[in-house]
Amino acid sequence: MNKALRNPVTFFLFILPGFILMTMFFIYPIISAVYYSFTSWNGVSDHVKFIGLNNYTKALGDERFWISVTNNGLFIAFSIIIQVPMIVFFSLLIANVRSLKGLYKTAVFLPSIMSTAVIGILWGFIYEPNIGLLNSILKLFGVDTIYWLADEKYAMLSILITNAWQWTGFYIVMVLAAIISIPRELEEAAAIDGASGIQRAMRITLPLIRPIISVVIMLSIAGAMKAADIVIVMTKGGPAGSTDVMATYMIKYAITNFKYGYGNTVAVLIFVFTLVLTALYQWLIARRSERIKY
Amino acid sequence: MAGPYKFSFKKMLPHLILMIYLLVILFPFLFVLFSSVKHNNNEIALNPFGIPKQLVFSNYVEAWVNAKISTYFVNSLYISTLSAAASILVASMFSFAVSRMRYTKLGFILSSCILIGMLIPNNALLLPIYLLVKKLHILNTHWALIIPYIANAIPFSVIILSAFMRSLPTEIEEAAVMDGLRAPGIFARIVVPLTVPAMVTVFIVNFLGNWNEFLLANYFLSNDELRTLPVGMVGFRDQYQMNYAQMSAGIVYSVVPVIVIYAILQEKIIEGVTAGSIKG
Repeated sequence: MNKALRNPVTFFLFILPGFILMTMFFIYPIISAVYYSFTSWNGVSDHVKFIGLNNYTKALGDERFWISVTNNGLFIAFSIIIQVPMIVFFSLLIANVRSLKGLYKTAVFLPSIMSTAVIGILWGFIYEPNIGLLNSILKLFGVDTIYWLADEKYAMLSILITNAWQWTGFYIVMVLAAIISIPRELEEAAAIDGASGIQRAMRITLPLIRPIISVVIMLSIAGAMKAADIVIVMTKGGPAGSTDVMATYMIKYAITNFKYGYGNTVAVLIFVFTLVLTALYQWLIARRSERIKY
Repeated sequence: MAGPYKFSFKKMLPHLILMIYLLVILFPFLFVLFSSVKHNNNEIALNPFGIPKQLVFSNYVEAWVNAKISTYFVNSLYISTLSAAASILVASMFSFAVSRMRYTKLGFILSSCILIGMLIPNNALLLPIYLLVKKLHILNTHWALIIPYIANAIPFSVIILSAFMRSLPTEIEEAAVMDGLRAPGIFARIVVPLTVPAMVTVFIVNFLGNWNEFLLANYFLSNDELRTLPVGMVGFRDQYQMNYAQMSAGIVYSVVPVIVIYAILQEKIIEGVTAGSIKG
């Protein structure tokens, strides 16, 4: 009976298309990036010159590279310090209301299925200094015109707010699903014991949703390291490179300035940073939150 | 609502807070919608929050012509559909081999490799993929997006589809083998039809991902007629930046189809998108 499903040629043919695509678009690019990161190639000429670790020392010594690393860090910090508490708060609220649950869930999720480019355009309009929504609201409270995206003081914050606006609802729905899957008896038993709503949330729900919060943080880290399109659409890294993230810094060098080798060095560094962060997080924090079964 | 309904403050407070959150999410869309039926920037500045007394629909006509929305829309639609469908075909063949054929060890190794693929920050691979696409002489054609999109969606699709296929009982194959079917027949006639529900989810997620993709679409195509909706919209904004009323009409065009699809398929979309991220 196993013969039909134990044919090496068939197995090979079924694997092949996926294998070729994965090799072409995952394995080859990684090898290629590492290879060119040691060269000063400009991306067009026939001549490829090896320069050892020069690109790496240049990147690690470049102040603008570190500004972009810091901005990736700000993405992570903003999501952990500001978004995660909001996510938990709002999912608890939605889980505990009797009516309109579906409406809230549908509405908060909406921005996360839109294209980041269009969201960037939309928020660019909201931040517009003279006729934008935000300054129009602030004017009611007597606040002077703020140049949200053109002022170094506010540009990064404006991007972070837009990013949070787009993704908070997505995570709320994820956490909400985890809260709803907690058996009702646990809450009921606590209620009979006289625990108040807030006590139940703090003592029962929160500890039980720790694994999913850990997932949210992991995803935020991964998302923060990938961030690029929102920056390109809203500020193009400006003013004066103050909102560049690693990916946009890489693109600026490689595509705009024909420093292909150096761009690949930055790509490898993005890789290494992401791996280190993910591994550190898994090792320090995620390991401790064990699986929960009901 | 039967019986006396008590409006207690304690009961209404969560709703009040949630309504404020909803307002923050939905008002930007309304702001754009209102702005799109105003004459010009001046009218937006004078009356930023409300609906204008006189609705101006000419912005929609002009935006449609100036922004070539129909071209971008068709490009996005067919690139996203084709790539999403092709990913499912490739991924379901792969998943079938690793989950249903009798090569358990090899299958396990291959699917673990695929899992690692999900951890790779794919924006960092933009430059080598650019080079690869250039070497294949497909730069500045739609293939430059379609093929990488197919490849990008494989890890997620394989993870979901192989998990689903693994959960199917082995008896179905035994019966099929008795009937004389071979592996390709079992795949096409038995496993694929049973996997359709998972495929729908995977298709939606892949389609949305392709529909919204910006980086590759921005750097791999230079002809305006080839552009996809997100890139075309950004180009349109850069060109007509001073005319916010018209730009708002453009935003409405690009947002409405997504909202309509979301309204119809929201349960599937939410389920698929969140499942995808957790597995990752």
